[in-house]
Amino acid sequence: MTQSLASDITTGPNQGDFDYSQKRIDDASSQLQVPLKTIDLSVGFSHSTILNEISLSFPKGTITALVGPTGCGKSTFLRTLNRMNDHVRGFWHKGSVVLDDVNIYDKSVDPLVLRRNVGMVFQRPNPFPMSIKDNVVSGVKAHKLAKRKDLLAIAESQLKEVGLYDAIADRMDDSPFRLSGGQQQLLCLARALAVGPEVLLLDEPTASLDPVSTSSVESLISALVPKLTIVIVTHNLAQARRIAQHAAFFFNGELVEHGLAAQVLEDPEHETTAQFVTGRMG
Amino acid sequence: MQATWVFDGRSSTTVSAPGDVLAPSRIDERDSGNGVGQFARNDRPMSILKKVFPKGDTLLVWFCKFLSYLPLLALLGIVGELFFQALPSIKVSGFGFFTTSDWKPGSSYANPISTSGVMHPPGAHFGIVPLIVGTISTSLIAIVIAVPVSIGAAIIIVEKLPAKLSGFLGLSLEVLAGVPSVVFGLWGVLVLGPFLSHHITPFISKHAPNVPVLNIFKGPTGAGEGLLTSGLVLSLMIIPIIASTCRELFRQVPVTAREGARALGMTDYEVVRKVDIPWVSSGIIGASVLGLGRALGETMAVAMISGSVTGTFPANIYSTMSTIAATIVSQLDSALTDSTNFFVSSLAEAGLVLLAMSLMANLFARFLVKRVSGTALPVGRGV
Repeated sequence: MTQSLASDITTGPNQGDFDYSQKRIDDASSQLQVPLKTIDLSVGFSHSTILNEISLSFPKGTITALVGPTGCGKSTFLRTLNRMNDHVRGFWHKGSVVLDDVNIYDKSVDPLVLRRNVGMVFQRPNPFPMSIKDNVVSGVKAHKLAKRKDLLAIAESQLKEVGLYDAIADRMDDSPFRLSGGQQQLLCLARALAVGPEVLLLDEPTASLDPVSTSSVESLISALVPKLTIVIVTHNLAQARRIAQHAAFFFNGELVEHGLAAQVLEDPEHETTAQFVTGRMG
Repeated sequence: MQATWVFDGRSSTTVSAPGDVLAPSRIDERDSGNGVGQFARNDRPMSILKKVFPKGDTLLVWFCKFLSYLPLLALLGIVGELFFQALPSIKVSGFGFFTTSDWKPGSSYANPISTSGVMHPPGAHFGIVPLIVGTISTSLIAIVIAVPVSIGAAIIIVEKLPAKLSGFLGLSLEVLAGVPSVVFGLWGVLVLGPFLSHHITPFISKHAPNVPVLNIFKGPTGAGEGLLTSGLVLSLMIIPIIASTCRELFRQVPVTAREGARALGMTDYEVVRKVDIPWVSSGIIGASVLGLGRALGETMAVAMISGSVTGTFPANIYSTMSTIAATIVSQLDSALTDSTNFFVSSLAEAGLVLLAMSLMANLFARFLVKRVSGTALPVGRGV
């Protein structure tokens, strides 16, 4: 298992509490918790291979940013982490994705329960065609996590958690489609958080938002750690620098480099990563 | 200034100087063969001030205006003519047309008598209530069966089946929509009716509970012609209409919304219930009314299967009966032999009633669509 955490990054003086080096990993593993990791994960559709032997771990209670040029496979990787690709025709995978010591592609794993534990928020806000309140508790209802009479209270507390409640307190029964894009995305975050996931996958959550909404979504994401483990795909390097503790750089389906965000994004080891983070390639 | 060269022949030589981005040679290269390139080749661009066909536009506009008013004119013409045809019947039968249930053409051998200045055969009396009941109940049976089946079929075609199979199934839906109603009628009379009356309906009739509402399934089952068979055949006829409309509707549900539901761990059923159907609910209502309109007005198949019994109410769901449309088509022939034309007039009034019923169904659907789209979204809007 520890092999998956191995990387060729050497220990530097500026590194934080998480250490990627092979030598230190055994000592650190007692304090260090890794709820989610992939081991030699290869993914593809039909005859094509999208991702090639990715081994990556996501330390508990931190934000990991996946960066890389368009088409490098980072979104596919993210969607493999909660089996969203199962619905895509021709999807295949090799290797494993381990959540709390269980391979999520094991036959005994129910993808519906998995997705409760590994939530996801998408690039575009995608509220359901029902009232704002019903949107927030739709997952709670689907998994029968609460009694009917408690639903309103749950919806309110979740909306308060994402900081949306004050703006829409008197519109709980209205359509969510009249909210602004940023508010809709916060609503989708509240909906994903309501089922109590331990890992949250964010697929470019601010790509379709204006700067003000982006900053409110970002500050919410930052506030969610260390309670949650967050994996965020982003095209916005500045955003990755602002919120992520760890970063992984993908290029052409390969994991080129991963480690602390400060290192990968500011002082990368590999030439391709350097080209990307300095803007010479994008 | 560069932009004007195309329209102004005199300046064309000056702007074709080398280095000019809009020089004709460049445009020639890019667009050789189409209009712009030809201007440049002929070196005689058209002036914007000259009208080529000065009257063409006005003519086209007026012609199109006329065409666009044609449907309205046709509708008004039909309603007006129907009303004038029905006038004698309205005068004689009055309100009784909508409250009584007799359907008697009267004696054509006796001398016609006059009521309120209208000549009609003695004993002639027309009440449309059983026909309205027949029309509504057959359509209701058809809708109740067809809507769930169509929604299910549409969802499976859009979401689950591989592209080739769903294309094939979609095509067969369209073929089913094209089957002439007289063929459906033949099938109902020769196959479905006998099958039901021999193998299915006696069993249902025997075991149906004798409680209100459900006791319509009890009683004599007849020979297979009647309400249930008509309703079933009608449902088959409207399924392709509703299902193919629903298929187009479900294709409009954004993938992002569906994926959001899946990412929350919803089952396929929940995704359909919570996202797909609410997203297009107003469209589904519209599609259902489209089917209802067809069922209300369907003539030939029902005329063949219903048993064509006028003047009595169906005793149970297997009873023979008739609908307005079926009665009009099956009785028009004998009505034309009525020398006073009163029978035809009554059929025309029945036609007016049918028209009003379809209109009301449409208005009701509009009302429902409006109510639904208050909470959900109208088709095609949203994220």
